[in-house]
Amino acid sequence: MENLQRKIRDEARNLLAKGSVDLIIGFEEGTMPLRASPVFIHSQHDVEKLVWNCFCENNLATYLARVGSSKVAVFAKGCDSRSIVALIVEGQIKREQIVVIGIPCQGMVDRRKIEKGVGGEILGAKEKNNEVLVKGDDFEKVFEKEDNLYPSCRNCRHRNPSIWDILIGEKIEENSEVAEYAEIKEYEKKSINERWEYFSRETGKCITCYACRQACPMCYCEECFVDSSYPKWIEKGLDPSDLALWHVMRAYHQTGRCVDCGSCERACPMEIDLRFLTKKINKEVKDYFDFETGMDMKVSPPLAVFSADDRQDFIDSGQEGTGKSQG
Amino acid sequence: MKKISKKGMNEFIQSLMADYAVFAPVNIDGIFSFRPICNFQQIDRDYQNSKKPPKEVFFPQSETMFEYKNGKVESTEKVTRKRLLLGIRPCDARANLLLDHVFGGQAYKDLYYTNKRDNSIIMGLGCSQPLSSCFCTSFGGGPFSTAGLDVLLIDIGDRYVAQVVTDKARQVLTGKFAEATRQEVELAEKIKSEAEKRIKSRVEMEGIKDKLDEIFDNPFWNRLSEKCIGCGVCTYLCPTCHCFDIADEVVDSEGKRVRNWDSCMFPLFTLQTSGHNPRPTGKERMRQRIMHKFDYFVENYEEPACVGCGRCIMNCPVNVDIRNALQEILKT
Amino acid sequence: MKREPRILAFLCNWCSYAGADLAGVSRIQYPPNVRVIRVPCSSRINPLFIVKALQQGIDGVLVAGCHPGDCHYISGNFVARRKFAIIKSLLEYLGIEKDRVQFAWVSAAEGARFAEVVKEITEKVGRLGPIGKLVKMRKA
Repeated sequence: MENLQRKIRDEARNLLAKGSVDLIIGFEEGTMPLRASPVFIHSQHDVEKLVWNCFCENNLATYLARVGSSKVAVFAKGCDSRSIVALIVEGQIKREQIVVIGIPCQGMVDRRKIEKGVGGEILGAKEKNNEVLVKGDDFEKVFEKEDNLYPSCRNCRHRNPSIWDILIGEKIEENSEVAEYAEIKEYEKKSINERWEYFSRETGKCITCYACRQACPMCYCEECFVDSSYPKWIEKGLDPSDLALWHVMRAYHQTGRCVDCGSCERACPMEIDLRFLTKKINKEVKDYFDFETGMDMKVSPPLAVFSADDRQDFIDSGQEGTGKSQG
Repeated sequence: MKKISKKGMNEFIQSLMADYAVFAPVNIDGIFSFRPICNFQQIDRDYQNSKKPPKEVFFPQSETMFEYKNGKVESTEKVTRKRLLLGIRPCDARANLLLDHVFGGQAYKDLYYTNKRDNSIIMGLGCSQPLSSCFCTSFGGGPFSTAGLDVLLIDIGDRYVAQVVTDKARQVLTGKFAEATRQEVELAEKIKSEAEKRIKSRVEMEGIKDKLDEIFDNPFWNRLSEKCIGCGVCTYLCPTCHCFDIADEVVDSEGKRVRNWDSCMFPLFTLQTSGHNPRPTGKERMRQRIMHKFDYFVENYEEPACVGCGRCIMNCPVNVDIRNALQEILKT
Repeated sequence: MKREPRILAFLCNWCSYAGADLAGVSRIQYPPNVRVIRVPCSSRINPLFIVKALQQGIDGVLVAGCHPGDCHYISGNFVARRKFAIIKSLLEYLGIEKDRVQFAWVSAAEGARFAEVVKEITEKVGRLGPIGKLVKMRKA
């Protein structure tokens, strides 16, 4: 990690020295254990702030929607790079204005899991090779990184960036055998009422802080549908039906856009299981349209295109099937 | 000082439930929230502090103010049952005093808030294990401060030592609690002083307001707000934040007027119908938040609107740290 | 006594709405539970409308458009088809009974078919009963 960190700082210094970019978006040390925090580097002097470790969980592509016309360099793990591709494809940023510092990612740790795995407050944490060493007032514990990866990292099949201008470190082997949607398939086996029960229980915890929306790089709408007052789609209180509506539609709006970076779920202060929604959307997009977000800049997003032969087995009313005109 | 065993506490709380709606920290999937309870066993051992601040007991996130049907209006400001708020931490109790300035001020009393406040007993629980993100002492508070409390409970193992602060509490506690022994009081004092020593995080507040008066146009605000993603976590989890929006929810000839928490960090907060927004970017909004808490509130009420509970620091998705912000402000 | 199911039908102006008209003109009987909202094209339907309708107390939503290939706007229903597949799948996954949200392609000449489709959804939703999930609870 220290090696990568040094490389990152060197590259960053170079970019700023040459004037290739106005700004570098990366990570700096957090003010709490197990955290790294996004940082905006404007000058070479600040390059030493940059760090790279298993706490760099945020998807930095979320900042790209507001860089205007500046030239920006941004750190990108596998998932972040796919968000960047998705943003380019959707016309939110121009390829020429960003320098992607791609970093093949071994996975970020699940800090909540680690916090729950000790008996007191964690006062310090350090990453060392494949381990995370934490210590508190009267304890020290070592966690294996592999066993404590964030769920979206555990099942990740795209650890290498799909787009980069500068690659830090060597590419790593992809875990293409992972059963990415195993949990979703398990969930689908539950009864209809069990599924509703879980959904309403989870969304019932929501406090409409919209951290999920703000953390997501793909939620860049100037006016989110929840803020529309004419028509007013949703009330601003905590009515369970409004909370459900918010989460259903946010998940739906991720169709063909979500990269499963987990930022939404990590941002949620109430620790709502958000990925069980977006992961389902991603599964359907794969099944129906054979599409994976952010892998190829030349491929249009699934809802922007269509085929005459698209599946329509969702139609179960009446005798429809062929799509042929009946006069 | 009084004392009561934990079992005795259990019985005491149960006995109050006939007359009081009791709010206590409830563990829902690992996250604590203050909820009305019908059954009290004990305060969960894992309880540090609630995720959402206890201000929601007096100032709910979503509150129906009145309902109307066919021309008849029914207000909900009356409080029919007294409340007991149990297990609140001293920082949050202090925060309620700050909210009292806003909602229970000289010029105007918000009855929805004050009726609940006036009819409540606040039974706080001292913090034996403050977190590294706690900085209550920087604002004149402390892990065993009694400001804003009717009773302060100090957990000494199998029992509580209780410091009775107000006459209101004295009346309710009559007879139920025994006198604490000298050893018990000493043990409580020991726990208190150790807890106070644990609070290492300190923010220098001297000169902050004056500095803020000067730096409104300083480019410092650009840098500070860069990483903020503009969600509402800090405002909604803050025990002193109090902004709200009022909306009508109407269907045909019946409806209700609802007050909901709002956040100055959302762009919609100051968006005007013309389309103009006086706080167009995150920079203006972040600046406003800090100015409100550490400049304007001090101007109006002589104390900053922060109690050092640390919730904003622990829950910010991008680890914006108000302590660093305040230090930077002094350095500009 | 159980109340009658409330069915909301989004019909595209050029095909399914015309088909509904034809059913009317031909005096073909179909359940009166359906309320119709006419839209220019099935692609006008934002899945938000479907979910919002359920929230407002509609027991069953029908969205009908032109047969793929026959859209008055050439490709509207092709675009819509993809959206509908996703929202249908998502709602079912969350625990909303799948019979509550139905899609159909009904042409302007298919008056009898329109009646059949409405009959089918009304019966299925009638068996499910009033919507309990997702609906905003109001005081009685």
